[in-house]
Amino acid sequence: MGEPSLALSRAASAAIVAHLEAAGYPLCEPPILQKPAPFFESGEEIRSRLYLTSDPSGTEYCLRPEYTIPVCRAYLASQEAGQPASFCYCGPVFRYRSEGPSEFLQAGLENFGRLDREAADAEVLGLALDAVVSARGPKLNVRFGDAGLIHALIGALDLSPQWRRRILRGHAQEKALDAVLAPPSGSGPDHSGVLAALEGTDKQDARALVEDLLAIAGISTVGGRTAAEIAERFLEQAALKSGSGFPAEQRAILEEFLAIESDPDQASARLRQLAADADLNLSLALDRFDARLGFMAARGLDVAEFRFATRFARNLDYYTGFVFEARDDLDDKPIIGGGRYDALLRALGAETDIPAVGAAIWVERLRISENAGWWR
Amino acid sequence: MTGNLVLAVPSKGRLQENAAAFFARAGLDLIQGRGARDYRGRIAGFDTVEVAFLSASEIVTQLAAGGAHLGITGEDLIRETVPDADAKFELLAPLGFGHANVVVAVPQAWIDVKTMADLEDVAAAYRAKRGERMRVATKYVSLTRRFFAASHVTDYRIVESTGATEGAPAAGTAELIVDITTTGATLAANALKVLDDGIILRSEANLVASLAAPWGKTQREAARIILSRIAAEEVARTTREVSARIPEVDVEFFAHAEVLFAARPRRHLTDGWLTLACPTTKVPALADWLITQGAAEVTVSALDYIFAAENKLYDRLLARLG
Repeated sequence: MGEPSLALSRAASAAIVAHLEAAGYPLCEPPILQKPAPFFESGEEIRSRLYLTSDPSGTEYCLRPEYTIPVCRAYLASQEAGQPASFCYCGPVFRYRSEGPSEFLQAGLENFGRLDREAADAEVLGLALDAVVSARGPKLNVRFGDAGLIHALIGALDLSPQWRRRILRGHAQEKALDAVLAPPSGSGPDHSGVLAALEGTDKQDARALVEDLLAIAGISTVGGRTAAEIAERFLEQAALKSGSGFPAEQRAILEEFLAIESDPDQASARLRQLAADADLNLSLALDRFDARLGFMAARGLDVAEFRFATRFARNLDYYTGFVFEARDDLDDKPIIGGGRYDALLRALGAETDIPAVGAAIWVERLRISENAGWWR
Repeated sequence: MTGNLVLAVPSKGRLQENAAAFFARAGLDLIQGRGARDYRGRIAGFDTVEVAFLSASEIVTQLAAGGAHLGITGEDLIRETVPDADAKFELLAPLGFGHANVVVAVPQAWIDVKTMADLEDVAAAYRAKRGERMRVATKYVSLTRRFFAASHVTDYRIVESTGATEGAPAAGTAELIVDITTTGATLAANALKVLDDGIILRSEANLVASLAAPWGKTQREAARIILSRIAAEEVARTTREVSARIPEVDVEFFAHAEVLFAARPRRHLTDGWLTLACPTTKVPALADWLITQGAAEVTVSALDYIFAAENKLYDRLLARLG
């Protein structure tokens, strides 16, 4: 089962684009040569895979490493910016890979500006799956998560800001809860003595003291952080270290929450039960979750076949809600990946948050064979 | 396949002096062509070896491309320049000079940051608050990316720096740095500190073999002779002969010496004089122990060469060449 031939890839691309255009997602064709700055902002992992070049004037460009950012920028530059609009795309992207060619075909769709988020989530998932079917792709298994749920849970639990930050980041990295909740380690002199001395004093006073000490050392702003920030985190860390650890009751709730992985309806019931048992108000997030399932079912998607996991995060910190993946039933390779990224457009220059949800399809992984599909 | 073995050595500075001294200790005299400006040379007594005097980065490039068979260069450069270094090179031996660590250093004023886990937390908070990523000044772009990824630090941006990297935080062009340091004095002078687990690489000059170079019969034979001399000197340099007179040794004496101090017997005379060969680092402990065993005096001497029938360096190279 090698790479599909060029002709087959072309045919699959054409089928995907035709299907998405017919569904009201016109083709967006951003240039292959892109300004690299927005991709630099996406982190070093992406940056290390970019193909960079420059023109005779010295202006830097990169070869398009993916479509979402270029399509977002095209949308923001258009008349429709801020309004509901949707696009599809299909073409080569260029990202360094140690195995396999670094130029490969990617198709996909982006949906902007829709306030009925759950309906848009279901639409994007449904269209991406249908597009793969239209290209005679393989049978897929869908797995999804919902960053909105963990945010709601963390918000409802009575936790300090540093624990919230750690848990949410650990979740985005799909780290085990034990690793996330372990007290901060580190050799060398610890400051628990200082902390013991400060214990019981007013938080503000303790912070003022540490700030004063830094001021005595002639430090106001160092390495972009202010003395106040350093003082605050110093006290936080010391408190975590000397404290009795993460509260057991909250830990049990988190453990139960993160263990939920099943078909979506069963998961929904368990989540509601968990919220009721722990007396937490998660109804807004749960209603959204259920509404999304309703829109999926209304599209004719076989929701009972999907798998939902609270832990599922796809390790990308820009997904802010629904996040999903569809893998080849035979070899388990990811074919579709996508989700909701409501914060990206603002980071790219929009004046307000604009809802956005999209999905990318790996055209070359579709395992299309010459005679597949004719009998379907 | 015929052709000369190409040995790439640093063309200037302390590394050159150290490399020349290293080969000289092994009885290999590097002869530079007429004048110091000639960048080709040979080793006295070897017809099939060509010495190329190159800059440190050029040595890595030549080794990677197969233009040189053996070379002397820092591990930091090898690992920074070539993504999958272990597949392309065999690091035959650390040479004991050119020591330097590639480290993550942050402002000393960051009293709340001691580990990479702290840095990850701070970097995320920094981005959440400012909408920008923390900047890391470095010339070790690849090493930094790999190390930070392994530590789950993702909220940062590299600012490439080719000189005086340690000044970047004070100048406001970066929040922290990844740089090479020998004593840490420069970092301290710039009010920076190394994170507890922030040592990315402990580098020193290495004798490196290129797996990409054409290894014909002539080159292999030249390498065998060079490596056997280097090994003889290296073993001698890291070994001491320790002598003492112990009138009565118990039956387990030599077994204990080997287990505790990796010391092997060389001679044992009937009058109680015995000589052990022992790794340099274990000499003081062995001497103490010998005195507790009844020695009145322990003498230690260095050796010039220890030639052995077994040529470990060459065997390693052969194993990689297949």
